[in-house]
Formats: sequence, C-alpha cells, structure tokens
Amino acid sequence: METETLQQQVSRPLQLPDSLPEILRKRHALRKELLKQANLIPACIAILGGSTTSEVKNMLDLALLAQGIKPTFYESGYNRYYEDVLAANPDLWNFKPDVVFIHTTWHNVSSFPKLLESDAEVEEHLRREMARFESLWEKIHTELGALIIQNNFDLPRLRPLGNLEAFEPYCGVNFLLRLNAKFAAYACKHSRFLINDILYLCAQVGLNAWHEHNYWYNFHMALGPTATLALARNVAAIIKSAYGRSKKCLVLDLDNTLWGGVIGDDGVQKLLLGRDHPVGEAYLNFQKYVQDLQRRGIILAVCSKNDPENAKEGFTHPDSVLKLEDFAAFKANWNPKTANIREIAAELNIGLDTLVFVDDNPAERAFVAEQLPEVAVPDVGSDVSRFAEVLEQEHYFEVEKLVQEDLGRAACYASNAQRSASQTAFSNYPEYLASLNMSAEIGPFLPEYLERITQLVNKTNQFNLTTRRYTSAEVESMSRNPGFMTLYGRLTDKFGDNGLVSVLIGRITGKTLEMDLWLMSCRVLNREMELAMFDALIEQCQTRGIREILGIYIPSKKNRMVAGHYAGLGFSCAERNSEGRELWRYAVPEIYSPKTRYIHRITAAAGRS
Amino acid sequence: MTQSEFLNELDEILGLPAGTVRADRKLDELENWDSMALISFIVLAESHSNVSISPAQIVTCSTVADLLALAQVRANGAELQK
Repeated sequence: METETLQQQVSRPLQLPDSLPEILRKRHALRKELLKQANLIPACIAILGGSTTSEVKNMLDLALLAQGIKPTFYESGYNRYYEDVLAANPDLWNFKPDVVFIHTTWHNVSSFPKLLESDAEVEEHLRREMARFESLWEKIHTELGALIIQNNFDLPRLRPLGNLEAFEPYCGVNFLLRLNAKFAAYACKHSRFLINDILYLCAQVGLNAWHEHNYWYNFHMALGPTATLALARNVAAIIKSAYGRSKKCLVLDLDNTLWGGVIGDDGVQKLLLGRDHPVGEAYLNFQKYVQDLQRRGIILAVCSKNDPENAKEGFTHPDSVLKLEDFAAFKANWNPKTANIREIAAELNIGLDTLVFVDDNPAERAFVAEQLPEVAVPDVGSDVSRFAEVLEQEHYFEVEKLVQEDLGRAACYASNAQRSASQTAFSNYPEYLASLNMSAEIGPFLPEYLERITQLVNKTNQFNLTTRRYTSAEVESMSRNPGFMTLYGRLTDKFGDNGLVSVLIGRITGKTLEMDLWLMSCRVLNREMELAMFDALIEQCQTRGIREILGIYIPSKKNRMVAGHYAGLGFSCAERNSEGRELWRYAVPEIYSPKTRYIHRITAAAGRS
Repeated sequence: MTQSEFLNELDEILGLPAGTVRADRKLDELENWDSMALISFIVLAESHSNVSISPAQIVTCSTVADLLALAQVRANGAELQK
C-alpha cells in the first residue's frame, strides 16, 4: 500500500504531497524520484539567513525539484546575511549565485522605535532600516548580478500594546507594516528584485504555527515546520517563474466545474450559477476567478464531454461571466479527454507541460494524470468553493512581472481562433496572409522592451534554435555591447496586436556574425515573420559590414520544428556533431532582395505611435 | 501504531532500507540522523498521537528505544492508545 501511494506520486512528480508529515516521512524517497526527471534546470541559490536556515534549505530543495529546478545551495552562517554580503565573503562570491534569497523575519529588524517616540524619530528608524537593507541589495545587484528574493516582514506572535499596535507609529506592528510598504516601493522601482510575501504567508498559516516557540528556543528557527513548507513552496514558485516554468493555459471541464448541474440533462435554466443559490454563487465566484486569470494572460480552453451545441449554450446563461469568446480552444465532444487535451495543446501551439487541467470528476483527473504526466492535474476535489484555492496553492501561474503583452495574450489566442476561421474562407494560404494586413516593427533592443524580451528568451521552447536562457541583466548588457547585434520584432495584423514575438541575438567577431539566439513565439507561426526578421538582419549586417552569418542549431526535445530553419533561409550546413548540433553558413550578399511578401515593415517610432 | 510500523517510518525518514532501524540502535550511530530527521520525527510522532514533544526532550535520548518512549509507542508492540 505504502509503495503504491509513492508510485502514484512519482508518476506525477510535479506535485509534492500536501501533508507535511507525508513529505517529511518520504523526503529521501521523493527527492530520489524527483531527481530522475528529465530536463531539470540547474540553479545556484544562496540562502542568506537571519535565523537558522538548514530546514529552509531542505524544504526548498524539494519544492524546487518539484518545479523542475535542480538547486545547488550556499548557506550563510547563522544570522550572517548582512556580514556575508557587506564583507564580500569569498565563498559566496565564488559560488556565483543565480538567485540570492534573503530569509529575514521581524527578528532581524535592528531597531524598533521606542514608546511615544515622535513621528520624526520613527521616520529616522525607518530610514536607517531601509538604508541597511538597501546597501545589501545594491551590493548584490552590482557585484553578484543575481536575482534577489527578499522576505518582507511577518508579524510577531505577541503584541504587547494590543490594538494600539495597529495604528501608533511607535508600535511594532505599525512599524513593520510601514517597512513592508517601503520594501514594496523598492521592488516596484528595481528589476531583478522580488518580494517573498511572508506577511501573507504568516496570516495564511496562522501566527501560532508560523512562529513555534519550541523551534525558536531550541534551534533559532524563525518558522515552525508547517510555515517552513509554506515558505519553501512560495520561494520555489518565484524562482520557477523567473526561469519561465510557469503554466500558460487553464483547461476546464464544464458540468459541475464551471456551473452546477449537467447542461445536457438539466438545460441552461436549471444550472446552478448566480447569487440566488449558495452553490450557484460559488460557481459564479469561480468563473470570476477564471476570468481574472484570463485578463492577466492565462489562456483558457474547454475540455468537456458534451454535445458541442449544449456546451456552448451554457455560456448564454445570464449569470455566466465567462463568454464563449474568452476561450482560445473549445473541445466539447465524446472523445477521451486526453485526445482533446493533446489537440488543445497542438491548436494553441503550446507544450503539454504548460497546461493545467481542472475537472470535478476524479476519474477524469486520474485518467489524464496517468496518460499525460506532463499536464498538471490538481486534486481540486468536487467542492467548487475550493477550486481556486487549490490552484493558488500550487502556484501554477506565478509571474515575476506583468507586462502589457500579458494583458492581451489570452485575447490574442482567442482572436487567433478567429484568424483560423477566416483562413478557411480563403482558397489559398498566400491570399489569406495578404488579407491579414500585417505590419512588423523590427529593430535593435529598446530599453522599454527588455522585460518582455527576457520573458520570451526564458520561456520559448519550440521556435528556438539554441534554447539559451539569459537573465535580464545579461540581456541588458548585450543590448549595450557593440560586440552584439540584437533585434526584436513586433507584429500587428487586422485582428490586433500580437506584441513582441521574436528575438535575435548575434555575436560579432570581425566580419562574422554568430547567431547566439533566434526565437519566435509560436502564436505567429507560418506568418512569414521569420522572413521579416531575416530581412532586417541582413540590412543590419550590410550596414555594419558583416560578410558572413553563422547559424547554430542545438536540438532539444521541443525545437524539432526549426530543424530546417537555416536550410530554408539558404544557409549551407558546415558541421554536424554527434549530438546533432549543427553549424550553418551564409554569405551576406551585396545586393539582397527581401524575402518578406506579406509583412509591411515599420520603424520603431511609427510602431509605438 | 505498532513499534515495527514506527520503526519503518524511521527508516523512511532517514532514507534507509526497511528494517535498518532497530530499538536498540544508538542515535549518534544512525546514518542521516540530523536536525531535519529530528524535526521529521517530532512532526510524525505528534501527528500519530496527541503527544507534544520538545526538541529538548530529544536531546536527552540516546537510543531509538528512548525515541519510541517519547512517542509513546509501547516496546511490546501493542497498539498506541490514542
């Protein structure tokens, strides 16, 4: 029985068990299984602690492995988070962390105001505390270049001044909340700096379980075991999002998932949806939650065993906040859900590992989880009022930054469905492409696009010739380095703005340009956008006296679609090693006629006006 | 929970093959007996019964039998009284 449970978890390694005792008991076995996953991303993580961190490290190790990241850790000495950085501890510097996690709590505030101190004196305490932390962050940023994850402050278990603590500036609780606001303001102004929100976590876990006296007095662990697990999951989610491992698409069942009842049997009038029924209100609120996800860029799809006409009718319910056009893919039929989910991924051109499947039916969940282990299948149960909480608990859709492109993304995928519909109206593909009235803004990286460029670099898997990942600091430095040639591309058509969809980075050596990175979002596949990018690349080469372009193709599990990319552009293959890595050459002609036929090129200034 | 079931859990906590941990084993000779294992023991013992165990009590333990006594698992293998 024991082994059977473990095997079930192992076949779905992306989820840790929910219960703390279970995780602690199976820690060694779980870790062993998680390490067997393919394509683990290595990451060097420094934990700088204001209290004991060995348990934080152990839990974070598991939580990261469950997110597909294989960490190597550095731990500061006990409460040496400040000295380690300020004194530039060579062990830390030689470790070259990708991520620095500063695990401080309210115990680490160096000076709280004294009773009845004036507002000006309290301000001075705030200023001093911020200056202390800022000096730390600035030094990490400039000398280590690592992504910084900083805890904000939790609340102490005791509040000697009772409710006064909430509003008097000289009281501890009020002071901590003001420090948190200052940390937040810093995070808004600085890239590569993210907050691990332990104020939220301590409320969620409850202060008595957050701070356990036993563990503080015996080990100086600021957090108890339950809290440590919650913290580890939260930090792992942030790191996963920074590595582009967050999910992109929510696949939803309909009956008893988005509304109460079975539409085919009950009809639209009898569905439980809306404020006039307690269960109906819970479904309404779940729909609103899903709508919020869609608005921030999560793609929606339906996967339901239903007659398509019945299924669609559900969305005509007067209280349905979700509408048919919110879904980028709609599968309502009697085929197995696994087949439908595969089709959804194919239609949307995204990997199965970017999907989250929500279904109230445990049999469907078990079937999908077993047949498609890449798909995340949360155990949502059958109580709709818990669905959203379960989704949040797994941190599927964590983002490190929200950019304009995110807001339009889900709508863009949904309008792609319209594009496909309009495509069928044309007898041939070129005619369709011409009808799209496409225009592309292509040019060297601009500062305002660096966040989006970094995002694309870290999450594009399919149309990606080398799958090299770069941090925003690296992208920024390449954009300013004359030894590199950079190009971004945005594409607009008559259905809307597709946003920034393509990125090229080349390394210049003498008169040769070696293509370090060439990637494109699959949402604009087969639109000749890659040709427009190539035209722009050739222009840049001509202007900068580049005579030859070297194309590199490094095969991965996911980028087979671009295996013929350089051949298609007229490059010739120069080398192919045993791992399938290829080198292609192209002589830049003096006279070049653009390959783009259907995309009109516009300048950056015109594109932004 | 019987003594042998509890010993099996200790094997798991320590990542050792089943049957490795016996009641007469000395803690400081147990492979992987570290702070994380100690915390895991507390959490598990507390989740199985209503006992509350402090890390300070564990520091006084020298053998696995001492741990079993703390977790109120009877040495004769009888069921733990909830």
